[in-house]
Amino acid sequence: MTLKTMGAVCALSLGLAGAAWAEYPERPINMVIPYGAGGATDISARTISEPLGKAVGKPLVMANVTGAGGATGSVAVQNAKEDGYTMLFARVGSHSVNPAMKATLPYTLEDFRFVTVYEINPFACVVSARSDITSMEALIEQAKGDGISFSSSGVGSGPHLAAAMVLNAFGVEDAANAATHIPQQGGGAAATAVLNGTADFLCTNSSALAGFVSNGQMRALMVTTADPVEGFDAPTSVDLGQPDLQQMVGWTGIAGPAGLPDEVAAKWGDWMQSAAADAEFVEKMESRGSIIRVMSPEEANDFIQGQYETFRKLVDDLGMRIEG
Amino acid sequence: MSFLDSLAAGLSLVGNIEAFLALFIGVVIGVIGGAIPGMSATMAVALTLPFTFAMQPITGILLLLGVYKGGIFGGSIPAILIKTPGTPASSATILDGYPLAERGEAGRALGMALWASCTADVISNLALILFAGWLASFALSFGPPEFFTLILFSLTIIAGVSGDSLLRGALSALLGLLLATIGLDLVYGTNRFTFGDPNMMGGLNFIAVLIGLFAIPEILAMVWHPTAHVGKTRSLGKNWVSFADYRRSFKSIVRGSFIGVFLGSIPGIGAAPSAFLSYSEARRTSKNRENFGKGEIEGVAASEAGNNGVAGATLIPLLALGVPGDVITAIIIGAFMIHGLQPGPMMFILNVDIIYGLFIGLIVSSLFLFMVGSVAIRGFKYVADLPRRILIPAVLVLCIYGVFAVNNNIFDVGVMFAMGWVGFVMMRYRVPPAPFLIAFILGPLLEDNFRQAMLMSGSDPTILIRGPITWFFWAMTVVTIVAIVRAGVGAFRRGPGRGRAPEA
Repeated sequence: MTLKTMGAVCALSLGLAGAAWAEYPERPINMVIPYGAGGATDISARTISEPLGKAVGKPLVMANVTGAGGATGSVAVQNAKEDGYTMLFARVGSHSVNPAMKATLPYTLEDFRFVTVYEINPFACVVSARSDITSMEALIEQAKGDGISFSSSGVGSGPHLAAAMVLNAFGVEDAANAATHIPQQGGGAAATAVLNGTADFLCTNSSALAGFVSNGQMRALMVTTADPVEGFDAPTSVDLGQPDLQQMVGWTGIAGPAGLPDEVAAKWGDWMQSAAADAEFVEKMESRGSIIRVMSPEEANDFIQGQYETFRKLVDDLGMRIEG
Repeated sequence: MSFLDSLAAGLSLVGNIEAFLALFIGVVIGVIGGAIPGMSATMAVALTLPFTFAMQPITGILLLLGVYKGGIFGGSIPAILIKTPGTPASSATILDGYPLAERGEAGRALGMALWASCTADVISNLALILFAGWLASFALSFGPPEFFTLILFSLTIIAGVSGDSLLRGALSALLGLLLATIGLDLVYGTNRFTFGDPNMMGGLNFIAVLIGLFAIPEILAMVWHPTAHVGKTRSLGKNWVSFADYRRSFKSIVRGSFIGVFLGSIPGIGAAPSAFLSYSEARRTSKNRENFGKGEIEGVAASEAGNNGVAGATLIPLLALGVPGDVITAIIIGAFMIHGLQPGPMMFILNVDIIYGLFIGLIVSSLFLFMVGSVAIRGFKYVADLPRRILIPAVLVLCIYGVFAVNNNIFDVGVMFAMGWVGFVMMRYRVPPAPFLIAFILGPLLEDNFRQAMLMSGSDPTILIRGPITWFFWAMTVVTIVAIVRAGVGAFRRGPGRGRAPEA
């Protein structure tokens, strides 16, 4: 506090209050990736770090701090100094599904200030190509009848909530318990579980599934966007009369600790605009099935808050909240 | 396209200086990265990944594969020289490699590690090229019940690495199982033994536990007894692995390679259990069984064959199914996707040139590994000649930096020191650390797969005997346990003093 006050006094006395902040960033910025190398968040973060580094003008130091479904890395940023030199690559799992589902999570959305969301990933629901299920109707019918199982990358992960949300939307009663949830350790294992018949279906990022669908190993039943997703020969949720499922999308954004100054947030807004204009970046991301949509800090906060509230309501309605 | 056409297409893709240079540089980075304690092959691959974004797809992937292969071998260098596995896969190598180094035969152990690694590498690569499709369908028949029985069987390894006292080994394993329960519960998502600390939610970091358990006790022992080593010579000397050694261990190397190939082709197991399984099988069938754990060259050969046998085979699920088999291949699959390639059955049709290019590169990688490894051993031999008063503090610094760098988290360094004291106490009371480690790796797999199997069947236990694979592993488990009990009873009858032999 004293340091801050002293700094403010010094700056004011020199009449440079604005200029002092205008100099942000003076040194390299630490960027925390809360998931492991090679995952969707990591690849996305490292792809944008190139054009973003140019826009920022100072090096971005990328560090993977993994564990507990993104919580470990998120906590590291939550507790960091609010000076804009420690930022987080936040993800749908760590910042809307987890806060909605886990009562004991050591952070809430209020602990972060989002400066942007730059990537949207449609969700898709798939079954194994060898499965008898050929459409969403058939899937719902089986869920109501003999029962059905689904895999996910863990309790409280995006795929876990997505499957419950989809079943609920299509009118399966007590959707959280009607189907058997078989959690796996991570996204790769969740896909494997569908391939080897451990679970019947999986709803997750289309980018994680595109390879299996184009290889003919999996059959897509639905995508959650309004527009069809390239490579997925499946109806959209709007086609199937469930426009509310559009809320179920993955995203990647950048956040700082809650007390991040407005000037810093505004700078990030500008940097992101120029970074995302980089043609090579857009091409790389789109080839993996992502939709590039750069949100301003305000938009990003509204978007995430909206998604969180939808999820929170669903979790409460279905009694899926994890206590303890 | 015929086989020859495919081969020619592959050759034209990799038949340039850049591709081979990338592969070679990759092996060099891997050996060095693997040899730095705490750095591990996984991190070496993760750090190399961003550099491949701008390369040709095949060049970038070959670079990563080079790092992978080099890293798995490189890990054995510090395991043998300073009892610190550079990468989790080489923890089994410590069991016999370090005693050999203590006896002044580090050169022999390192040489054998290299020969065994390269042999296993060749076998593993050939398995990938010839049997990828078959092994992939085998891997897909591995659901949670099959997995559970395999892990159950693998836990019998504990008897093989317990040394002379099975009770102490079991104690060590129980401790490992207990600590492995820390973190989030897989099925309920609730916190277990985290004491409200977010750092504990992800469970204890594996590398921190590994280094804490093996390297730190040596350092503490040095502090305890600063002059205990004086008078012991410990140099690489002139000794080098002989062809007779290699021939004697050849059966174990081949067996270890096949164990590696099978376990590697099943997603989700990784190289460390394979090394331990290979080691324990070699011990079980060896004439020199008594000598295992005290500096038996065949033990080094078996563990290194076991872990390098995995390195080619993990590419089977990756290429044939598009499924990453372990953490490292999960990173490599990211590199494929960056370049718009989607591994899976269609890749054998659409990108057959890349597949065959990779095959050619893999074959060459074994050769590069042999060359780089030979040079590395010569370079690292000076480590063995270093006086311990200089070496041990340097190892401590490396361990701290390495463990911190895994996750950029200071908490992990604390875990390493806490485990160091646990390891030190275990060492004082002659409780072997290897069973701890095996239980720590396999415990969560056993639990997760059991619970997944129960979820699948609605808590009906008959799912655990649902097919031939489960029957096979149940039978193996029973046979092994009977053998352990019979050996134990036999030893007891021969006289009660035998169990305390190492005190002499």
